[in-house]
Amino acid sequence: MGHTSLEKIISLQRNPANIRNLCILAHVDHGKTTLADCLVASNGIISSRLAGKLRYLDSREDEQIRGITMKSSAISLHYSHGDQEYLLNLIDSPGHVDFSSEVSTAVRLCDGAVVVVDAVEGVCPQTQVVLRQAWLENIRPVLVINKIDRLVVELKLTSQEAYTHLKKILEQVNAVTGTLFTSKVLEERAEKEEEKEKEGEKPSGDQVYDWSAGLEEVDDSHLYFSPDQGNVVFASAIDGWGFSIRQFAHIYSERMGIKKEVLLKTLWGDFYLNMKAKRIMKGAQAKGKKPLFVQLVLDNIWSLYDAVVIRRDKEKVEKVVTSLGVKVMARDSRHSDPKVLLSAICSQWLPVSQAVLSMVCEKLPSPLEMAAERVEKLMSVGARRFDSLPEQTQHLKTAFLQCSSEEKAPVIVFVSKMFAVDAKALPQHRQRGVLLKAQTHKLKTCPPTLSRLINMQRTRTDLVSLSANMENLTLKDSKPEEEEEPKETFVAFARVYSGVVRRGQRVFVLGPKYDPAQGLSTLPEGCSASDDVSEIPHLSCCSMENLYLLMGRELEELQEVPAGNVLGIGGLEEYVLKSATLSTAPACPPFTPLNFEATPIVRVAIEPKHPSEMPKLVRGMRLLNQADPCAEVLIQETGEHVLVTAGEVHLQRCLDDLRDRFAKIEISASEPIIPFRETVVRPPKVDMVNEELGKQQKVAIIHQVKEEASQGRSSDTLHLDSSGLVTLTTPNRLATVGIRAIPLPQEVTRLLESSSEVIRTLEQVNMSLREGKSLDISVRTLEAISDLKAQLESLLQGRKWRNAVERIWAFGPRRYGPNILLNSVEGYQRPSVWQCLSRGDKASEATALRDFDNSIISGFQLAALSGPMCEEPLMGVCFSVERWDVQSTAPPQHQDSVEDDSTDHEATAESNMEGSSETSARGRVAASSDCYGPVSGQLIAAVKEACRHAFQAQPQRLMAAMYTCEIMATADVLGRVYGVLGKREGRVLHEEMKEGTDMFIIKAVLPVAESFGFADEIRKRTSGLASPQLVFSHWEVISSDPYWVPTTEEEYLHFGEKADSENQALKYMNAVRRRKGLYVEEKIVEHAEKQRTLGKNK
Amino acid sequence: MSIFTPTNQIRLTNVAVVRMKKGGKRFEIACYKNKVMSWRSGAEKDLDEVLQTHSVFVNVSKGQVAKKDDLTKAFGTDDLTEICKQILAKGELQVSDKERQSQLETMFRDIATIVAEKCVNPETKRPYTVSLIERAMKDIHYSVKPNKSTKQQALEVIRQLKESMEIQRAHMRLRLVLPAKEAKRLKEKLKPLLQVVESEDFDEELEMVCLVDPGCFREIDELIRCETRGRGSLEVLSLKDVEEGDEKL
Repeated sequence: MGHTSLEKIISLQRNPANIRNLCILAHVDHGKTTLADCLVASNGIISSRLAGKLRYLDSREDEQIRGITMKSSAISLHYSHGDQEYLLNLIDSPGHVDFSSEVSTAVRLCDGAVVVVDAVEGVCPQTQVVLRQAWLENIRPVLVINKIDRLVVELKLTSQEAYTHLKKILEQVNAVTGTLFTSKVLEERAEKEEEKEKEGEKPSGDQVYDWSAGLEEVDDSHLYFSPDQGNVVFASAIDGWGFSIRQFAHIYSERMGIKKEVLLKTLWGDFYLNMKAKRIMKGAQAKGKKPLFVQLVLDNIWSLYDAVVIRRDKEKVEKVVTSLGVKVMARDSRHSDPKVLLSAICSQWLPVSQAVLSMVCEKLPSPLEMAAERVEKLMSVGARRFDSLPEQTQHLKTAFLQCSSEEKAPVIVFVSKMFAVDAKALPQHRQRGVLLKAQTHKLKTCPPTLSRLINMQRTRTDLVSLSANMENLTLKDSKPEEEEEPKETFVAFARVYSGVVRRGQRVFVLGPKYDPAQGLSTLPEGCSASDDVSEIPHLSCCSMENLYLLMGRELEELQEVPAGNVLGIGGLEEYVLKSATLSTAPACPPFTPLNFEATPIVRVAIEPKHPSEMPKLVRGMRLLNQADPCAEVLIQETGEHVLVTAGEVHLQRCLDDLRDRFAKIEISASEPIIPFRETVVRPPKVDMVNEELGKQQKVAIIHQVKEEASQGRSSDTLHLDSSGLVTLTTPNRLATVGIRAIPLPQEVTRLLESSSEVIRTLEQVNMSLREGKSLDISVRTLEAISDLKAQLESLLQGRKWRNAVERIWAFGPRRYGPNILLNSVEGYQRPSVWQCLSRGDKASEATALRDFDNSIISGFQLAALSGPMCEEPLMGVCFSVERWDVQSTAPPQHQDSVEDDSTDHEATAESNMEGSSETSARGRVAASSDCYGPVSGQLIAAVKEACRHAFQAQPQRLMAAMYTCEIMATADVLGRVYGVLGKREGRVLHEEMKEGTDMFIIKAVLPVAESFGFADEIRKRTSGLASPQLVFSHWEVISSDPYWVPTTEEEYLHFGEKADSENQALKYMNAVRRRKGLYVEEKIVEHAEKQRTLGKNK
Repeated sequence: MSIFTPTNQIRLTNVAVVRMKKGGKRFEIACYKNKVMSWRSGAEKDLDEVLQTHSVFVNVSKGQVAKKDDLTKAFGTDDLTEICKQILAKGELQVSDKERQSQLETMFRDIATIVAEKCVNPETKRPYTVSLIERAMKDIHYSVKPNKSTKQQALEVIRQLKESMEIQRAHMRLRLVLPAKEAKRLKEKLKPLLQVVESEDFDEELEMVCLVDPGCFREIDELIRCETRGRGSLEVLSLKDVEEGDEKL
């Protein structure tokens, strides 16, 4: 078959009945790209000799090196079947789990799928996944059982064994389809029942339960793969052969005089040929006869392999060749590698492209035959029912189904992904001279591409497109940024569902949240995309600058594309992030988002090697985000640039892309910083070996006091009593504060954390009130605030918390965190933080703030921001101020007489501020200072220190961020999943079986700190049968005490003297401390005697 | 002919000497290398892992043991272990290689942490990560001075880093309230100190919200307090003006 010109393809595009949009799906390494190669070779784009070795659609360098496909790429092929000519838009997809997002993007654009299964490996995890994906998108699959040659050459099966093997594989595939089908039926049934319940039509009288589950009623025979249905091809893409039953039926009906229809039905299955009676009989297995399939089909292939590959029998080969009526070139038959000869014979005898393409043309639907069900599914976003969409939108369904390319038809295009193309590779940027030179160069080096190049040249001589190119060139040149450097341009991977797309046409870009009803009501009737639509949310306009025909590595320019075709659109990068729906009709709803089988889960922090290249990195990551459907990029509060990818291989590809294409700088990827929180807990009742703890606790505290005193850490200003109350005096002995730390109940912490927004507004209101301004607060915020107060009151019950809510002094850190400062000072009636609620009685506000009230708060804020364990923020701690004495006897003195550099800069800064604002307010009364700096500053430092000591007086614990982890796994790998979870300190919450399948859904929690490499490990251990998803859920206290050392006899026995065996909290704490450059209590050298005695140079 | 056979001589290898002068005499003890600092910080609790021998010397390298009389005279006890502990705690020592290395490393990290805390990327208003700062510090070949405080050094590092990368101290957001009379004059004086003036409201008083470099805070504070004689006021709205929350690109 010769190569096809661009004009031919353009003309074919106009006939949607003869268009097939299909993708090739399979598990990794089952031969998708090889098969695609064979199909591409049939169009003369590459030499059939190289088919299977070139992997034409793997255009990336790393794809070629690694030997796996990493992106989906499309190519348009021409095929004439019978008297019809077909246009096939073929999309090759990757098989690796990490790139299943690419599969999603491919599946969305297609009407049919070719599922490839390895004849040896059978159904693999990804095979199941792709079948499910095809199922979910309602596209029709056909099956190719590939690598049959391996059965002969590697496994050395007899033809009979091979037949049973193939039968098994077919059963496996059908089993997967069957499960999908049953689960769908069950789901539908459940939905129906729910609806019934909602309607309240409970059949009260009859209790007869319907056990049939509706499975029997629904016919599912058309779903299954069976050779006699004509939707299965047996092939060996690498050797270039493949056949369907139909072909053999055709051959034998002529040769044996049996009707073709009979052969079609009996060639696959338990039938045998009774030679004497010349009849086909049933029950081959029972009678020990060879089934028809073995006798007529497999035996022939086996004998061919036997002759050519295994025995290399020259004479027999010649006999076979002549009997098959194929011509073999002398060069091939003399070749030392028998495979060459084999493929030369096979590709003429049973060309794989013929078998696959004819099956595709016959069995897969054309764009015209799109199922109405699928259209409705595409158009109804989320939980919305199709019926609920506006009427005009529902009318569009007919446009979909007609798939007409008339002028009037509304244009509907779906962009499933954006891919980056080097600007130089675009057809309008390739200059003629350069192209010619490249051609001559390529001609020498690469003969197989000859035909393709000639083809391209012909296109180039097309005068219209050339002039368009020139126009475009000048247009582009006028943009200054274009000239700077060869930029990456984005081309949208899209499909036209209705109407004709023209170059430069203006269309609406519909965001995923766009509501057609809203758009219709605001837009005037019959408006077009060129009008101004700025006011409608999630709707924008753009023009399609360039249209391309996707030809694998090449792009060809097009002027217009009619409905039903896959195409590339240039110039959308400003408007479309990853996927979008384009339409000329505002009534069109955005399509349902792609459903991704793998969610991004592997997180790494990315940094440039040279800090000055930060802007380049950010730009590169932005581009990467657009180019990859599955990668997520975010900047965290810590300033880290985090890249989230689907897996290790995907990560590697993203990093390579970033390095070589998008950012063009050296980068390094590392484990992201893991946040922790510090908290205190109630003193434990039992010790580590479950012994009752009595008075020991108090003893321990006393012990601590003694220890501190002995080590000289405790000064005369600090006093710690046995109940955990810390009293601290400022260095100038003027002020004394007594503070106690109390753990907050868990529910309170959770409440405070979830209502941080409310607390923040509360704080703003208080601030303005203090200044004497009255701020207008909406009723809703007031309600929210009083609601919070009521909830707090209900949660803080008991003697200890009596009246606590009223006494709240502040929240921290940053004034809205999950820690509380409590006012328990006797005789200090401070205006409550809730004062905005009781605005009626202003009289109560007479109780003014005491001096330096702000200093206490600031000290608390600083203490809450970084705890004593590893300088991480506190959480769920209540500091109760029980004593606060100030002697204001010092003579007033000017404040700035002393400069104090030794104290914390921030503290001093703040102290100055407090001091100054208060002095200004009260006419410089208390601006007393001495050699220790201003009083307010000292007080801040004192409060901060006191808080820290009070914190340390309680049992301290570390809080770890936790992920909830949802794992889908089959029953046979459950044990390994549990193993991985256990190893990483995970905890299984519950597991349940998904109805109608053998999949289990396990819900577990896992510390974020342990999640690095988790996805990879779990996939490896379960051979890809379990796929986890991680979502941040909550903070959890790590139960072990980081400072714990064995004290009792039993504990010594259990944990040894050092007790450093498995203290999770200590491990985390030390890691953080080491990262921050804080002191870690660790010996530099473990054993003094085991040091090297030699000098450095020896 | 007599052959010198040192039967009872203990050769000390890997010695770190800790010296102390007391009562006019010099005393030394023989310790293992890289262990004394751990003892002082409390990480090492086993004395035998620190001391080579429990005896007190006058000169370790010569092997001269201190006389008992001198010890009792200087320390008031002849319990060698007790004396060793005293010398360990207060004596002067030569810091060993690994000790020095780990000390410098911690300080380096500490400085980087402080810099990362105080600074932002002026374009995005987001902080840099510690590891990036560390790398930048290595790029400018910053060497840590062990006897200077980390905070001081951090400020110095920021100044040096500014030349090679986009970095600045996170601004403080201040609210200034100036009385009408002095407002104009003061504003002129304040102008060079203020980085960004976010809002300005002039009716009875001049109220300004602005971003300033934390280094200028004292100056501004002083200026306002002196010039307005307590009628103007200054309030810190936030210590660090940074972007909060995660951002998706």
